[in-house]
Amino acid sequence: MLLKNKLLVEVIWIVAVLAILTWAAVSNASYVTNNQNSIANPANGDPVGTVINVTGYQWAWAFQYPNGTISTDKLVLEVNQTYTLVITSKDVIHDLYIPQFGVQSYAVPGHPNQVTIEPKKTGTFIFECVEYCGEYHYEMRGTVVVT
Amino acid sequence: MGFSFELMVFGSTIAALITMAFLLYYFTADYKRNLLGESASSLTKEQSNLLLTKMRREISFSAFFMDDSKSIGVRYLITSIVLFFIGGLAGIGMRISLWFPNPSFLTPIQYNILLTAHGNIMLYGFAIGMILAFGYYLLPSANKIEKDTLGVVKSIMFWLFLIGSLFIIFSKSTATWYFYYPLVDQLTEAGGGTYSFATLIGVTLILLAVTVSSVIFLKMVFLDRSKSIPLSKISMFSWSIVSTAVLVLTSAPVSMIANGYLIYDLINPIFFQAANGQVLGYAIMFWFWGHPLVYIAILPAFGLIYEMLPKYAGVPIYSYRAGVFSLLLLMIFSAVVWGHHLFNSGLGTIWDLLFSTTSFLVVIPSAMSVFNWIATLWSAKSIKLTVPMLFVLNGIVDFVIGGILGVYLADVGLNAFIHGTYAVTSHFHWIFIGLTAGIGFGAIYILFPTLTGGRTYNVPMAKVHFYLNSVGTIMMSGFWLVGGFAGMPRRVAGYFGIFQTYQDAAAVGGVILGIGFLIFLINFAYSAYLPAKVDVRNPIEDEVQVT
Repeated sequence: MLLKNKLLVEVIWIVAVLAILTWAAVSNASYVTNNQNSIANPANGDPVGTVINVTGYQWAWAFQYPNGTISTDKLVLEVNQTYTLVITSKDVIHDLYIPQFGVQSYAVPGHPNQVTIEPKKTGTFIFECVEYCGEYHYEMRGTVVVT
Repeated sequence: MGFSFELMVFGSTIAALITMAFLLYYFTADYKRNLLGESASSLTKEQSNLLLTKMRREISFSAFFMDDSKSIGVRYLITSIVLFFIGGLAGIGMRISLWFPNPSFLTPIQYNILLTAHGNIMLYGFAIGMILAFGYYLLPSANKIEKDTLGVVKSIMFWLFLIGSLFIIFSKSTATWYFYYPLVDQLTEAGGGTYSFATLIGVTLILLAVTVSSVIFLKMVFLDRSKSIPLSKISMFSWSIVSTAVLVLTSAPVSMIANGYLIYDLINPIFFQAANGQVLGYAIMFWFWGHPLVYIAILPAFGLIYEMLPKYAGVPIYSYRAGVFSLLLLMIFSAVVWGHHLFNSGLGTIWDLLFSTTSFLVVIPSAMSVFNWIATLWSAKSIKLTVPMLFVLNGIVDFVIGGILGVYLADVGLNAFIHGTYAVTSHFHWIFIGLTAGIGFGAIYILFPTLTGGRTYNVPMAKVHFYLNSVGTIMMSGFWLVGGFAGMPRRVAGYFGIFQTYQDAAAVGGVILGIGFLIFLINFAYSAYLPAKVDVRNPIEDEVQVT
């Protein structure tokens, strides 16, 4: 019976797990290297597409568009356009999270981050702060409108 | 912000009171003889051996005045059960408050206080307390130690642990257990809590206690072990405590230093300033300890599973060698994966990739342990489904579910989608309730005759406790998982109405868990009052099964 040969069984279970995880690690690495813009990175001064400056503060989000207008707790985007969010914070650490776009980035004071998004569908979506930031943390949320 | 004179007076007064209380306890207690150590090295070897054979301490409050290892273990056990009750109350309060999308039963500040208390009490008070309890209670007899020294040190460390827990409970901090920098130094109710620094002090005291205790554990296993047990035959539980102790010693000091920096920043802000771009510095130092902490909380449970599983499967553990290898690999790998908590914080792609890959690596030793348990069950002729065994099986299943979720979270792309949502909360509640708490309950049931001097627990009630615990975990963590994948954020006092279904179902699960724990307490109190009817033989300790 197979279970009698302990060394073989141990090697089999290590190799099997190693194989699955190697596959996971390689696919993860290829995703990360090919989609560097869709994960949060330190702002590098060379953003893709339209730049929207996002500032988190206790307890709201301010979005500054290229034409200088600022909207609070509401982000308006156009479909099939590329945007780069440059995210920073005025006070404590926040985290901007847009579930339907699958992106999030910390808003760290003194350490701006950037993340690129490209809405593919029109509609109204939600965004939230997912890094705890004090009393009204739960109210740091709003809607993303894609037209 | 700022560190006022009143706060310094407050701190000095507390310190003076604590010192006086300890001196009072030390010099006036009738139990001074015990405190000085009837088990100290001054005893002859025969006396010492006699003490060890008789050393089967029951749960009683006199343990608070005796300083042999077993009594210290009983102290930690009582404390951690009480703390689990308090932390559980905080958890249930949060669940009930989240029944409606807008804060109803609790104001946001009250919710945040409970949130912080729940996290800190459960991790620092309950999880660490439970490890210290079983470590002190089981290591001396598992290793048949020849002398039981350093009683006073162990005793002082216990009192520091208790004071730390009290600080955590009463500070009303709202900084969560992360204490991320700019928030924790906002000494206002809306920020980190007016006395959040008291929690920092409490956590540091607990870290000190667990660090010194880890040295004592290593000493018990490697120096005091009976010569009759060679290193290749020591119990799996001892190995798990060894890896835990090494993890504590390598990572806890970093957290103590970081907490010191935070307290210094209250007076003179220099370390983690936004102007220097150093805000993430605290997060990095914190997670250098914070990730090993979760392994510290589960490794002793691994060891207990390795001890309990063979008892009821009727066969020795399938592979002692693979088990030890897995525990030691977990010790090494879990120290280098902390960056996966900060994937979206802007560490940079290279660091993300590094920590993602090491996080995949840490699955290998975990899977080795799980396969080892499965192989043990597979080779068993007949499996006895006693209450402790039910907890063990449930713990293994919960660990597999929570562990697979951990693999999902280790993926950088997926992490951007579920980080900070209830999927994360679900991930670690599967593991903590199933493994840390569940195996703790199982071990208490298996040790029940020893802990109560020959009483037996009420089996039907214990089974009800088990089923409520299991069903409650599945409901609570399961619905959190679904909600998390829909984008439900964690740590919120209110939420978008679309998530109400998940929150309500999870609240029901949480209440079920709470009822289960109450039944455990009732069972414990009721059974301990019945007359003794069995031998105090302790099933975990009496024979250490190795291949």
